[in-house]
Amino acid sequence: MASDPTRNSPLSPATLHILLALARGNLHGYGIIQEVARNTDGRYRLGPGTLYDNLKKLMDTGLVADAPKSSSSKRKSAAAKEDDRRFYTLTKEGRAALTVEVDRLQSVVTQARLRLQEARSGRA
Amino acid sequence: MNNVVSRFAYRLLLRLHPAPFQHEFGAEMLWIFDEEHQRGASSYLLFDGMLSLLRQRCRMPRTSGLLSIRSGEIISTPGVGPLRLLQAGVTSFAILFSIMLLSSRSSPLMVSIRWSEQTPCYTITLQSSTHMAEIRKTMP
Repeated sequence: MASDPTRNSPLSPATLHILLALARGNLHGYGIIQEVARNTDGRYRLGPGTLYDNLKKLMDTGLVADAPKSSSSKRKSAAAKEDDRRFYTLTKEGRAALTVEVDRLQSVVTQARLRLQEARSGRA
Repeated sequence: MNNVVSRFAYRLLLRLHPAPFQHEFGAEMLWIFDEEHQRGASSYLLFDGMLSLLRQRCRMPRTSGLLSIRSGEIISTPGVGPLRLLQAGVTSFAILFSIMLLSSRSSPLMVSIRWSEQTPCYTITLQSSTHMAEIRKTMP
């Protein structure tokens, strides 16, 4: 599914946060929720409905995929149950879309800073 | 007792989701509900589940001329179109929202609607002090 990475831009906040969470590594659904909450100091917390709705769309567009099961999942430990969960991974296209979005946001921030600076110097 | 009721309500909401979505994500959503419920966020989770139900039902393709009465499926005939589903959704949404407002002792929920002309799309965001849910709809 090779496509133009700008096709999905601009991303919704939920999509952006999910992709950002997965950029650090493969996670299961609850892991994504926790990672998003950690990344935003608890200010943005996804509900499971919002999460899976967005995950489904991201999987349909090929930005996120099921992560292959690790060989360590056979071990009998307290984490064994967690390993049975479905893990999600960021695809190459997903990483490209995230990069495009971050660049877009970067340019928005640069523009905004410039405008605010101009406004401030105009007032002085 | 309250735990049992909210878990039952959430399971019911999951059962009302379209079957493919329910089979793919239902178990995981219930697992997250159980985990998050311990943190005392059940009213928000129910609301999020309701929004999810609306999103999935509104997005569901029409199956013309086919009477589908499967587990968790809404009857789809030519007479039951997206408008009817939306109407039903908004009504149940309003009822659930009223119940939540009446029963909630925590901070109120904030609803905001944003319109982006660039895409064009609109985003409806629902935010409490600890949680956030959103619906984003791109116009054709």
